[in-house]
Amino acid sequence: MFISARAAHGTCVFLLLLAVLAGCGGSARTDGADPKVTSLGSIEVTAKLVDIIGEFPPNDLYDYAYVLKYEVMQTHRGEAPKTIYVGQYNPLKPRAEAADARSGEIGGNVTAFHAGEVHRIALEVPIDDYCMVGIINKYAEQTQEPIYWAVWTNRVVQ
Amino acid sequence: MFRFVVAVCFLGIAAVVHAAEAPANEAVAALAQEIAGKGWIVYSARSDNGTWDLFLSRPDGSSVRNITNTPDYEEAAARFAPNSTRILYRRLAKGTQINHDQWGFQGELVISKPDGSTAVVVGGEGEFPWASWSEDGKQLVCLEKKGIKIVDLGTKQVVKELPRQGIYQQLFCSPDGKWFCGTANYQNAAWTVVRVSREDGALNVVHVFQNCTPDWCPDSEHIIYSSRPGDQKSNNGYGWTQLWMSNGDGSDAQLIYGEEGFHIYGGQLSPDSQYAMFTKCPNDGGGAESKGALMCVMRMADAPSIGGESPELRSKHANTKNGPVLELTFGWEPHWTYENVGATE
Repeated sequence: MFISARAAHGTCVFLLLLAVLAGCGGSARTDGADPKVTSLGSIEVTAKLVDIIGEFPPNDLYDYAYVLKYEVMQTHRGEAPKTIYVGQYNPLKPRAEAADARSGEIGGNVTAFHAGEVHRIALEVPIDDYCMVGIINKYAEQTQEPIYWAVWTNRVVQ
Repeated sequence: MFRFVVAVCFLGIAAVVHAAEAPANEAVAALAQEIAGKGWIVYSARSDNGTWDLFLSRPDGSSVRNITNTPDYEEAAARFAPNSTRILYRRLAKGTQINHDQWGFQGELVISKPDGSTAVVVGGEGEFPWASWSEDGKQLVCLEKKGIKIVDLGTKQVVKELPRQGIYQQLFCSPDGKWFCGTANYQNAAWTVVRVSREDGALNVVHVFQNCTPDWCPDSEHIIYSSRPGDQKSNNGYGWTQLWMSNGDGSDAQLIYGEEGFHIYGGQLSPDSQYAMFTKCPNDGGGAESKGALMCVMRMADAPSIGGESPELRSKHANTKNGPVLELTFGWEPHWTYENVGATE
């Protein structure tokens, strides 16, 4: 069968578009539940990362926890207010690679933090009972609420 | 003819430079001679076997000797007991990188005589974190997630606990036993040097923002620490860490030494408060992860002093004295005693 060059080109573009569209819709829905997030910590929530103030400093020299603001959408275990401030340990690292001897068991499948994303998080509170590093809290003047410690952070796709 | 003129000019300039350096070198030599007999320092450094060992030397850098010499371990962070009859330090497995920020959590606590003999391992890996001496050397002051713990050295029992109030590293007891100092998150400001009353736990801020490695001055009233002021433009806006000192209540903060191109850490005073010892490192962190940094000594009578050209620093501190600074060898976290602990029998 003879196919003209123009027709072949059109077919290729069509197939490429299909592939791109399939890729865009590739993130399967997930509620973020796994054995870790549903068992670690004393509190478990699904929450929206409202915003990130400033840029995360490099952590090649200093370990730190950076406080992020979340709006709680659902509480699975324990109790949590509508707005929580959560310290993420060395947030430039994917959660699966963030744990070290100092942090204790932390993790999850979030690879980077972006405002607007929804996370399922296992938490402890107050952060001082679980974390002995510098805590960078840009919300310090907005709230005196206790800071939560993120133990396990998974991505939720709705 | 032109070459001759250039050569004469060059020689002239060289002579002027040499003439300017000579008095400076003489001043440094005089400082070295002045402190040579003033006790001993203990410090960590890379040894010929490639690992970190502990060394004793005179404060001018002479009479150096390796007092651990253990190719199978890394030893670091030695401190003399208040009466200088013992030292404590941390011993890490060979190849473990000393973390400048976490060393108090690393390895085993070891106590020995100041010459390194009769070393006794106290506790297991990571136990007695950030252990330092109490004022009488009979107790250890430790910093854990759950709080400040004072441990009787004889029984290893906790005799007192206090909330740590955000302190997360470098906890030290004042020579009079009344206070602690440390690096803390306080009122949500990280890297804040604080002072805590041992009696009632009352806390006050000493210096806020980008400070660490606090240590007590012998008078128990002043605290010396490293600080990287946030208003610096040099080093691409990152700035350089400087040596500062404040009253324990946070008042009268003053620069002791700074030098653009170097981060100043490990500051402490001699037992008579006449001299300051510190390390200077081109990379932030003090060099614990590599080979340490140049250990230095200056007179406190020359404080504040600024090294090098340091144009930005000099513009902010016009009253500097440019005193001599004696550079020793590469090391980390030196500690100074006036007791004659290095005497050989």
